[in-house]
Amino acid sequence: MLVSDTDQTILSTAVQFSKSCGSKLFVLFVIEPSRISRLASISHQKVKVVYDRTEENGWQLLYLVEDEAVENGVWTSLHLEEGNMLEILKRYIDTYRIDALLIKRKDESKKIFVSSPIPVIGL
Amino acid sequence: MQLKISEYLKSEAIMMEIKAKEKLAAIDELVAHMVKSKLVTDGKELIKALAKRENLESTGIGDGIAIPHARTNAVKDLLLAFARSPQGIDFSSIDGKPSYIIFLIASPENQKSEYIMALAKLSRLLRKHPVREMLRNAKEPAEIMKIIKENEE
Repeated sequence: MLVSDTDQTILSTAVQFSKSCGSKLFVLFVIEPSRISRLASISHQKVKVVYDRTEENGWQLLYLVEDEAVENGVWTSLHLEEGNMLEILKRYIDTYRIDALLIKRKDESKKIFVSSPIPVIGL
Repeated sequence: MQLKISEYLKSEAIMMEIKAKEKLAAIDELVAHMVKSKLVTDGKELIKALAKRENLESTGIGDGIAIPHARTNAVKDLLLAFARSPQGIDFSSIDGKPSYIIFLIASPENQKSEYIMALAKLSRLLRKHPVREMLRNAKEPAEIMKIIKENEE
């Protein structure tokens, strides 16, 4: 499963990884309200403006991955959720029997590496 | 770039009640309607592109919504179509529930950014519960178009 933020650089790698493993690719974009509030505060913008932009970017990212996946014959499932990232991840891992997480390696993703019950691959 | 999905949905691409009971038949019926309305010239090619995608993913996004979509040169410009199924159709939705509202999106191969943007805008719009309810209760195509125009951002 690819856990996505608004960075597009890892998309092709994730699709190629799934293709080479013959895996199904679940793509998850999580809108974290606490992060939205923080971003709004830092950028002096209204929370709704930041939320709307994040949601639209999220959907665009999901469909970009899907478009590339389809071109490569990789089965995908797109998901956009709102809430706490770790709680949502746990639910997805349990519900969809996810084998591995693919995420962008950065400071904020450390908590996922630490707490995930399944292998996490940093891209 | 600002893209308004209401500008791409024409009243003749709206079916208030679709008869099909399963997803590929629903796509066939909707495309046949678009061909009849002269919105699509190569219906077979469009169906082929949509079916290819349906085989690789679920276009049922949950909450009673399905958005079958494809990039194909079977269409000349970005195109939207709408259909409603009273009994619901199994689009292998992520929540396991049938889809009552079907939006079809097709674009030429070279209009990828508009296509992605249209999909994103439509998905956002349809996450809103009141919009879904209004679309399910609308009585005529003009009402469907008005709901979309007034609620898209």
